Parts: sequence; structure tokens; C-alpha cells
Amino acid sequence: MAFKISLNDGERSALASADQSLLDAFLREGIWLPHNCTQGTCGSCKCRVDAGSFDHGGAPFDTLTQEERDAGIVLACQARAQSDMLIEPLAEIDDSVTHHPMRDVSGRIAVLEDIARDTRRLVIELDAEMPFLAGQYAELNVPGTDVWRQYSMANAPSETRRLEFHIKRTPGGLATDGWLFKSASVGDQVDMKGPLGNFGLFEAQDDPAILIAGGTGLAPMKSIVLHALAHDLIPEIFLYHGGRAQADLYDVDCFRALDAEHPRFHYRPCLSEEAWQERSGMVTDCVLEDFSSCKGMSAYLCGPPAMVEAAGKALKRRRLPPRRTFKEEFTEAAKIAAE
Amino acid sequence: MDGNTRLHDTPDWIANITIQELENNPYPFYERLRKEAPVAFIPALGLYIASTKEACRAIAKDGETWGGFISPAGGRTFGHPNVLNVNGPEHKELRCMVDPALQPRAVDGYVEDLVRPIARRYVEAIEDKGAADLVATFCEPVSVRALGDLLGLQSVSSDKLREWFHKLSVSFTNAAVDENGDWANPEGFKPGDEARAEIREVVDPLLDNWEKNPDDSALSHWLHDGMPEGKTRDRERIYPTLFVFLLGAMQEPGHAMASTIAGLWTNPEQFERVIDNPKQIRRAISESLRWTSPIWSAVARQAKKDTTVAGVDLPAGSVVMLSYGSANHDSNDYDAPSKFDMDRKPVPHIAFGAGPHACAGTYFASEVCRIGLEELFETIPNLERDETKEIDFWGWGFRGPKELHAKWEV
Repeated sequence: MAFKISLNDGERSALASADQSLLDAFLREGIWLPHNCTQGTCGSCKCRVDAGSFDHGGAPFDTLTQEERDAGIVLACQARAQSDMLIEPLAEIDDSVTHHPMRDVSGRIAVLEDIARDTRRLVIELDAEMPFLAGQYAELNVPGTDVWRQYSMANAPSETRRLEFHIKRTPGGLATDGWLFKSASVGDQVDMKGPLGNFGLFEAQDDPAILIAGGTGLAPMKSIVLHALAHDLIPEIFLYHGGRAQADLYDVDCFRALDAEHPRFHYRPCLSEEAWQERSGMVTDCVLEDFSSCKGMSAYLCGPPAMVEAAGKALKRRRLPPRRTFKEEFTEAAKIAAE
Repeated sequence: MDGNTRLHDTPDWIANITIQELENNPYPFYERLRKEAPVAFIPALGLYIASTKEACRAIAKDGETWGGFISPAGGRTFGHPNVLNVNGPEHKELRCMVDPALQPRAVDGYVEDLVRPIARRYVEAIEDKGAADLVATFCEPVSVRALGDLLGLQSVSSDKLREWFHKLSVSFTNAAVDENGDWANPEGFKPGDEARAEIREVVDPLLDNWEKNPDDSALSHWLHDGMPEGKTRDRERIYPTLFVFLLGAMQEPGHAMASTIAGLWTNPEQFERVIDNPKQIRRAISESLRWTSPIWSAVARQAKKDTTVAGVDLPAGSVVMLSYGSANHDSNDYDAPSKFDMDRKPVPHIAFGAGPHACAGTYFASEVCRIGLEELFETIPNLERDETKEIDFWGWGFRGPKELHAKWEV
């Protein structure tokens, strides 16, 4: 049985089954609702329910307080309908960006290789297209389980059937030690859904951009860089990749070649625990050294929460407008699993 | 009831309160008023005070029983008739004069183009300095320039507009009376009188010009709107309300902006959140208006007939001051009211009043604050409080930080 979920604009609606999140229903319908993590942790998909009954699903109280629940607010990525509903997203829907509908797709592993310490490149050849915007992510199903893990596409969005992902091993992690670093091999089938997320480069911009990536936070940045350079979308790009040692860096040759080819692109790997011929130190400190002012620039940040926070603070010190700072944090799989 | 019986009924803690104490910190006295005497006669003022949200709202909303009334010191400062102290058709006429430019739809049409360049200009003047008193260099100048330009006072410098509202404010809040009901400090009206004379000297020639050459400035509309062909509104009907604007509407958006920053500085996590997400600025302003209401205790009503509020019998003619700054700390509506917390349940505050005399500039003032803070936080996202300097809130009629010292890395 499906319920009709209407947006309060009086125009758009989606059908949701009783075991499907409201967000999932809209994204499959090709109707964009603001969201980011789809795990109930970021709160960016909050909606006010104007009519209808529902349950909050797995919405954590950290993200959705009792007061918000009392005021009829739900997390669209967690709430399930129990009747027809009328809802209103709290965040503005940006209609200027064309989003691709979320879809279920399957494919086979074409490449699975070690590229850095505890880091693998995974390439999946899809049976059908999955168009996405540079910076977005997909959810991969861990075979034989109902567990899904989120990974950003690292290839340019012009390639919609052969998707590249960068996977960092989590000791004891179900998707990594239990699958991609253990049993998975070329030719295996993988089920996934996407695209998801509101982090990325969705349109051309006039301001130069600083991209700061920690570890496999490089994946969405690679997609953004390839896309921006191919279509002249950003006037100047500074890509910082932070790792502890050279063993943590990857795709170095690829980025060095781009740096040599495009005067507008600058690749700056930074190592926090190893002295070498290039930059050493925390990636955020390197940014602080390089720029006396970041006025009039924008920034894209992706990596562990502590790095994203430190980078956000560093950029504020250099007076980069926070409105122009876009962030993607790794969601802590262990924390979600515990809830 | 006459003054003597009221005095006999007055407990010492109320009888002995002074304006100076209230101006330094009105909260402890008002906390007790709300608990023990929500509507109380205050001998130092020669009138009643309503201190709870319930009493303030009941009086403000009931236009049948209560008429707009200016505090005696306010009347002495502005003159008659001003939009605050007239009622019925006369009030309607003055509201029809001031309201059109301040309706939300009208404000939406011009406010971005009016205020954003002003805010940018003032933030550009300080952004490379690394430190500033934000009240004097940003909040007040943005506030007066925005309204000044809207009114048509482009030729009057921001410093002059600030000087005018400071002087008018001194007179307006010179409320103390002696035991005979006479002014306790008559010389306190001098600054306001000087400002008024100077304002007329500057504004008269502007009005002369607008009489012949109307334009889209608000004061030109005040002269012409609703008047028969070939006639303009008598200046004696314009000036008292212009003085109201040149004090309240000039000063208070600046107070609100400064209090919002000061409030956010008490809660670093929320400050950071607002800097990172400018969409939350509106919520921060709203909480600030509740936390430190700029028009703290400056409006009054007069009973048109015998009535009872909060169990107190008030004969016709009684004057009650509505202390919105206290009403917005009413613990019936707000837990830990003295804490700035933009995550608290958004129970509407009453900082802009209610009923027929509700503030005409509610939307305009909020938009000026929003745009000002957006520009400040966008240009200087590393703004910090200068911890070596105290933040000294002052005022009972009008309240806000006297100075607000910030620093940032350049």
C-alpha cells in the first residue's frame, strides 16, 4: 500500500510505501528534497508535517529533538508515512539546479586495486546509467546483508556507467574488512542506489576555489576537478590533499599531470607525519601559510569531521565567506550501526 | 484613588527604586515585580508599570479600553501630536502617513538595494583594522544611514543622526518626578530641545523643496500622501512624529544588532553556527529582541475607562507603562529567561508591542539588522569578542550595549 506525500507547493507529490523513507520516495520520483547524509545525522532533510500520520523511524534524538517532534518536524530520510501526508521542507529547495532522480542500479566490479595504505580503488561497470553531479555519492549494498555504505563518485560526471570509488579500510568494518578488503573480486555483482547528497559543484562559479581533502575525501574532489577543468567551471582551483605519509597519497601522477597541463589548477599534497621535498604539516596549516586572505574565494571540504572542522575554522581566519564553504564529512559508520 | 493612597499602599522596595538603578540593571527589580506586583504604581515615575507578558499583552491589545499615551518625558521631548500619543481617526491619519513605506511588501521592494551597500561600506571601513567598537563603527551607523536615506536625509551625516538620537534619548528617558509630580531633573531636557531645534533648521529647507518637487523619499510622501490636490500636510503634524522616528527608529535597529552580537558571544557554539549558516541570523535576532528588548520600557497606555488588570483596579485616566523588556523575561513563557539561547522554544516575544499602536517598523528594523549582520559576518567571519573589555548594557527606557569591542585577525 502506498501513500501520497504532497509538498505544500500544491504541485509536487510522490508515492511512498509504509517501509520507505519520505526522502527516498521523493528522490526516486525525481523531486529534489534538501538532504545530505540520509543517515539521520545531519538534519538537513527536516520537514514540517502539515497533515497526515507517520512514525519517526530511526531518527536520533541528537538530530531531531523532542521539541521539534512536538512541533511536527520529521527527518525525511527516516520518517515513514502511515497515511497520505502534506509536508514542507524547512530548507529552501534550490530549483536552479537540475538534480538526477535517485535510482537502483546493479553492476559488476571492474577494478579493485590497492592505491595507498589501507586504501583501494573500486570501479563498477553498471548495467544502466546513473547520472550524477560532481561531488555526489551512492550507497553500496554489502552483499548478503541489508547494510548500505556511502561512497562518493570519483570519476567525472560525464561517465555515468563506469563509476570510480575510493575505499578506506576501517579495521573490523563490515563493508571493508568484511567485504571489499576481503572477499570481493573483479566480476562480482554490486547493488547500489544513487545519486545522493547536496555536496558538490553544481554550476559554474566566478570565484576561485580551495579544495581540501583528507584521505579518501579526495574522491569527490577528483570528480569536481575533472568536471571543472573539462568545462571551465572554476577560474582557479587549489587542491590540497592531506595524509600522514607518502604511503597515504594516491593519484599523485594524475594530479601532477593536470597541474602541468592546466595553469589554473594547483595540486598541493601535504604530509603531517613525514618530511619530504614538498609540503609537510597539517593540511589546514598549509592553507593558512599559503593564503594571507581568502576573501572572494569559495571552498570545498571533505574528510574526517575533525579535519573538516579545522579547515572551516582556518578559512574563517582567512575571511573566506562561510556561505561559500561547502562541507562533506565522513559519516561514522560505527556510530550509525550502534544506534 | 489619589496619589496619597497609592503611596501608602506602596511597599518600600517599590517606593525606593530610582531611575538610575533601573538604567543600570532593571532585571532584579522587575523579576520581583512580576512575582509580587505585575501591575504596580511606581512613585519615582508617577505612573503604573505592567511587567508580565500577560498584563502587557492584555493592555496593548485592548484598544477599546486603552489608548496610546506617551510617557510624560516622551511627550515633553517630542511634542504633540505624535503617532504614539494620538488615538482614533487622528492616529489612523498619522499611521497612514508613516505606514506605506514600512509595509513588508514595500520593504521587500527596496531594502536590499538600500541597506546592503550601506552595510558593506561600513564593514569595509573597519575590516582591515583588526579591532573596533561595533556599536560606534557599525551597528549605529548602519541603522541611522538606512533610515536616514529612506526618509530622504541623505544630506545629513551619520554622525549627526547619531548625535540627534543620543540627545533625544537623554530627554525621553529623563522620566524621574519629585513628590509633587514635577520634573526631578528639568535640565535633562536641554539636549533634546537642542536637537529638535537643529533638526528643524536642517529639515525645513528639505521640506520646502519637497513641497514643490516631490520625490520618492518617505518624508516627501509624508508631506503629500492623502492630501487634497495642491496641498501639503502641515509641518506641525509632521515634526512630532519625525522626532519619534529620529529617536526610536534611528537608535533601536542599532541596539538590536549590537545585542544580537553580544547575545551570540555568550554562546560560542551558537555564534559559530550563525556565522557558518547566515540563514540562522533571523532566529538569532528574534532571540536577541526577547533577551534584551531595545524598547525596554518606553511605551505607555492610558485607561479610557475604569478597568482591572492582574487584579489591580485602575481608574479611568490611569497611565500604565508597558515594560516589554520585562515581559520578554516572563518565566511563564521562557525558561532561564536571562540566557541567550536561540534554540529555545520560539514563543513569540512582544518586543514590538501589540494592538493598534504596535511598532510600524517591525519588519523594516528586522531586515536592517539581518542585512547588517549578514554583511558583517560574511566579511569578518573570524570576528571575536575582545575579552579584555567589558560589555556594559545600559538603559531602562531603551536598552543595549554601550560599546561592543571586537577583534579579528587581519
